[in-house]
Amino acid sequence: MKELILKLSTPKKLAIVAAILGMFALIIGDPTNSNKISVNAKALALSTIKDQDKIDVMTLADWLIKGNADYALIDLRNEKKYSEYNIPSSINIRMEDLLSSDLMRNQKILLYGDDDVAAAQAWFILKSSGFKGVYILEGGMTAWKDEIMFPKLSANATPEQTASFEKAKQVSLFFGGTPQIVSGSESSSAVSMQKAPAQSVPKLTVPANTKSSAKKKKEGC
Amino acid sequence: MVSLTRFFSKKEKLAEGKTFEPKPYSNPYLVGVGLGLVLLAAYLIMGRGLGASGAASTLVAVTVSKASPEHAAKNNFYKEYLGDENTNPLKDWLVFEVLGVAVGGFLSGTFAHRIKRTTEKGPNVSIKTRLIYAFVGGAIMGFGAKLARGCTSGQALTGGAILNLGSWAFMLAVFGGGYIAAYFIRREWL
Amino acid sequence: MMPYFKFGFFSVDFSLVVAFVIGIGFGFSLERGGFGNARILAAQFYFYNMRVLKVMFTAIVTAMLGLFYFSWIGWLDMSLVYATDTYLLPQIVGGLLLGIGFVIGGYCPGTSVVSMSTGRTDGLIYVLGMLFGIFVFGEVFPLLEGFYNSTYMGRVLLPQYFGVSFGMVVFLVVFMALGAFAAGEWAEKKFAKKGRIAE
Repeated sequence: MKELILKLSTPKKLAIVAAILGMFALIIGDPTNSNKISVNAKALALSTIKDQDKIDVMTLADWLIKGNADYALIDLRNEKKYSEYNIPSSINIRMEDLLSSDLMRNQKILLYGDDDVAAAQAWFILKSSGFKGVYILEGGMTAWKDEIMFPKLSANATPEQTASFEKAKQVSLFFGGTPQIVSGSESSSAVSMQKAPAQSVPKLTVPANTKSSAKKKKEGC
Repeated sequence: MVSLTRFFSKKEKLAEGKTFEPKPYSNPYLVGVGLGLVLLAAYLIMGRGLGASGAASTLVAVTVSKASPEHAAKNNFYKEYLGDENTNPLKDWLVFEVLGVAVGGFLSGTFAHRIKRTTEKGPNVSIKTRLIYAFVGGAIMGFGAKLARGCTSGQALTGGAILNLGSWAFMLAVFGGGYIAAYFIRREWL
Repeated sequence: MMPYFKFGFFSVDFSLVVAFVIGIGFGFSLERGGFGNARILAAQFYFYNMRVLKVMFTAIVTAMLGLFYFSWIGWLDMSLVYATDTYLLPQIVGGLLLGIGFVIGGYCPGTSVVSMSTGRTDGLIYVLGMLFGIFVFGEVFPLLEGFYNSTYMGRVLLPQYFGVSFGMVVFLVVFMALGAFAAGEWAEKKFAKKGRIAE
């Protein structure tokens, strides 16, 4: 047997190795099922402590103003809502298309939907598929509108509240929002409810998805 | 007597000094395994395969945009290879890879004494004809490679190993086109 | 997890160093295989020297088995390995043109670089021709754009296209290649004539 193996020429040995590996491959079938994943639940759970995975809207507004662009901002809402209004520089990707999109595993990804629910679902999908830096915009679009586009200050605010409102006002104006002071001490929520329909969301000044139009060179030949 | 001739032939080799005979090419199957491992390394480290024509396209796109920036900006093909304005398009993976190919080829050729200023051609054509054929063939190849989104390295080899449908269709077409054309231009090579 | 670059193990700048080193390996292998020589490449199409087939399919089989077993062990995430999207018709037409250009010019883009760096004049002229061809393509691209983007199929790999397991396709490719090698060896003996370059 040993002599027989020694007598074979190198190409024949290679051919035998290839044939054996090929037959094993046939038995193995699929090396991985890319849709079936194993998740380190403990690591996932730990990463939620201290809210490390959440970014509040003020921080995002700050990044946008400073032109910090080391993250991909993903809008998970449907196309209609996206085209009506979206946070500048965001890219519209539906949740079912997340895994087939060209997001990179090592990219910082910031997710938002109408509220936290969609973002949380997408967070889990991405996290469990090996994406490292996935973050949720806390409060989603609702929070963005409330705090950035239409910040409110009640008339009987404390000096600290007023001070922080001054800052919010600047930010809001930057994004074309309308800061407002709610008059009177009566139920402010009722007032804002009445007011809400009148506030039309400003037309986009920044073209939608400026980020994706900056073309990444393709990898192919 | 035998030892004497052996002695002389040995001496002759020594006398020749640096003009070594070119070594024969290596066993194709071993070369194939080596090439396969290089390709595998590219996959494992970079997550992408090899390529060649992409670097040439970048070069062309850069040249065109140097000559006429507006013209290049209007054309989607050039734009694809120019990327965004923030990075130099020549600072590209394929460009560096192809530089490596030139160096690697030169090193291997040097070790095997195969570096030679010559023109490879069939016995029945003149050097001038061969060079015209080379230019025309190169032009057809360049055009076809761009239409197919890759050449033999980027599509057939790279896509073949990852079992890409388009690459296998492409590979069959290359061999098909090659064998048909080979009949008509057999004078060039035979 | 591999591929390392996609998981951010190193920067884009370092990836260029990797590119250069991998390119050296690529160029070295091509030269070793005799691919810097147009006569050897062209011989493939006249059946008397099947080096192109042998080297190419051995490389494909090696890399394919590597990909398969690395992802089986769980070290490699295959979905992250880049595969060009399939545009069936343009790829077939481009492939035919490429094959014709291959026989006429005697090289393909990768091998012409090796040929040029080992001193072949025809390799140099070929590269110039290729640059010209790409330039022509770029100039007529607006007219071709429709066809260029036609029959788009996305990222399709053979196993999913035929609806069989990955291992099945690997098995078939391995045995197809072994069969092709046997046929190649036979053809070389049959078509070999005096005066032609053999091994």
